[in-house]
Amino acid sequence: MLDFQDLFSELFDLEDPMDKYEWIIEYGITIPVFTISRLDANLVQGCTSNLWVEKIDDKIYCHGESLIVQGIASMICAWYNQASSKQQQDFSLNTLTNIGLAPLLSMGRQNGVANLITKIKTL
Amino acid sequence: MRDYFPFFKRRPEVIYLDSAATSQTLYTVADDMRDFMLTNKSNAHRSGNSMGTWVDKQYQLSKELIGKWLNINKPEKRIVFNSGTTQGLNDAASMIMSAMSSGVVFVGIDSHHSLILPWTQSGNAKWRVVFINLDKDGRIDLDDLKAKIKLEPMAVSKVIAVNAVSNVLGLVNDLDAIKKIALDVAAVSIIDASQIISKRKIDISGFDFVAWSWHKVYGPMGLGCLLIDPVWLNFNPVRPGGGTVTSVSTDSVTWTDNATKFESGTQNLSAICSLPRLVEWLMKHQTDIEAHDISITKIVNDQISLAQFTPISKTDSGLICLEPVIGTVEDYTMMLDAKNIMIRSGKLCAEPLIKQISQGALLRLSWGCYTTKQEVELALDNLGEINARLSRLVQRTV
Repeated sequence: MLDFQDLFSELFDLEDPMDKYEWIIEYGITIPVFTISRLDANLVQGCTSNLWVEKIDDKIYCHGESLIVQGIASMICAWYNQASSKQQQDFSLNTLTNIGLAPLLSMGRQNGVANLITKIKTL
Repeated sequence: MRDYFPFFKRRPEVIYLDSAATSQTLYTVADDMRDFMLTNKSNAHRSGNSMGTWVDKQYQLSKELIGKWLNINKPEKRIVFNSGTTQGLNDAASMIMSAMSSGVVFVGIDSHHSLILPWTQSGNAKWRVVFINLDKDGRIDLDDLKAKIKLEPMAVSKVIAVNAVSNVLGLVNDLDAIKKIALDVAAVSIIDASQIISKRKIDISGFDFVAWSWHKVYGPMGLGCLLIDPVWLNFNPVRPGGGTVTSVSTDSVTWTDNATKFESGTQNLSAICSLPRLVEWLMKHQTDIEAHDISITKIVNDQISLAQFTPISKTDSGLICLEPVIGTVEDYTMMLDAKNIMIRSGKLCAEPLIKQISQGALLRLSWGCYTTKQEVELALDNLGEINARLSRLVQRTV
């Protein structure tokens, strides 16, 4: 069972919100870069800034204009790519609430993340 | 002045820099609204009992005091209560469209959507919107306005719709010159005064319509005013209903001859009854409020370099917008929020201008009479720190 908090334990060990954001940004910009097609078909609706997701070689990748959104979305994609079929099936916004990621997401961003999850599940 | 606002005692950790969207509430407003709801709740105009009479008196007193504050004669014929600027500007457009079947609306490119959209809805095809450009300093270009008016035939009905202060640029437009141009060409004039009325004493005489919202003036949410020239009382109500008539029979209607003609239905009376003490406070502190805005504006203009941003423009009043070079406005808003600094970011409901001057979104810091010099400096410092942090992160990973 792949645990989100275990996968990103470094983040959850941090206390200062600014350090958390810094970690998230760093994660988002240091993961291997794939060329995501910035097509409307890959665009996640409902995000304040643009976020694209695409399935490449059976793995989900993302590219966000916002550094923080890129980081959060990359974490979600990384977890999803390693999760079991059952976990992928059950994945919802509640999963993120349960693992303590929700406080980093405002209502507006939660809507965007919910749409990201829906989009990922359709790929 | 900060002591007049309970918010800052209740939330001392917060640096609130989103006053252009919504100001914090004067203590009298919170007290009076609570008092209305718990002790005096009754309806105006039609109750006939002593509680209703008290509400009537507060309602009339509100208009009288607004009249005194803004130098408006016969306020009962000129001040329309509504839900806010958006409703006021929509009503103004509806009144004009009921009086004139077609025409051209000259709208400042720096306008809030509320000033633009009432003219661009489906069914309004007979009204054409012409955008007025800004001059090199960022204010309405009067020469552009005059030139574009000149292109239209004399017989075409004309409306000039501008905001007094842009909610993106914080620059004060030359209302006297705009008034003169409107008079010269017999254009109907509409002023969105939302961003100026809580900051500066302005001369709003001579315009057909002036709209603002009270939640930006330290007052209640869901209440606005539309100031109308009395000539518009000759036209039928936008929304006929209770309060708009003096008599109704099966075959005729006599409309009232004062501004209640445009206030159908039960008004937001808990909010209206909080206005007398708010307006008295505004009159008493007008000079201090204005001096404070000038002072904070100067600090922001002088110290904007602390944020390591190039501002979109210098500001005259109330707010300043910045565009990040690294990351997006969302990144800065979230990171400032982590430090309890509340700002606004995005398209600011002014997309025509935002698209012209930026990559599509801006950060906006806006202040009120309660904002301190230290708060503004701290916010600018933090923006600078976040900027440096993001630059470091991006460079480290390149």
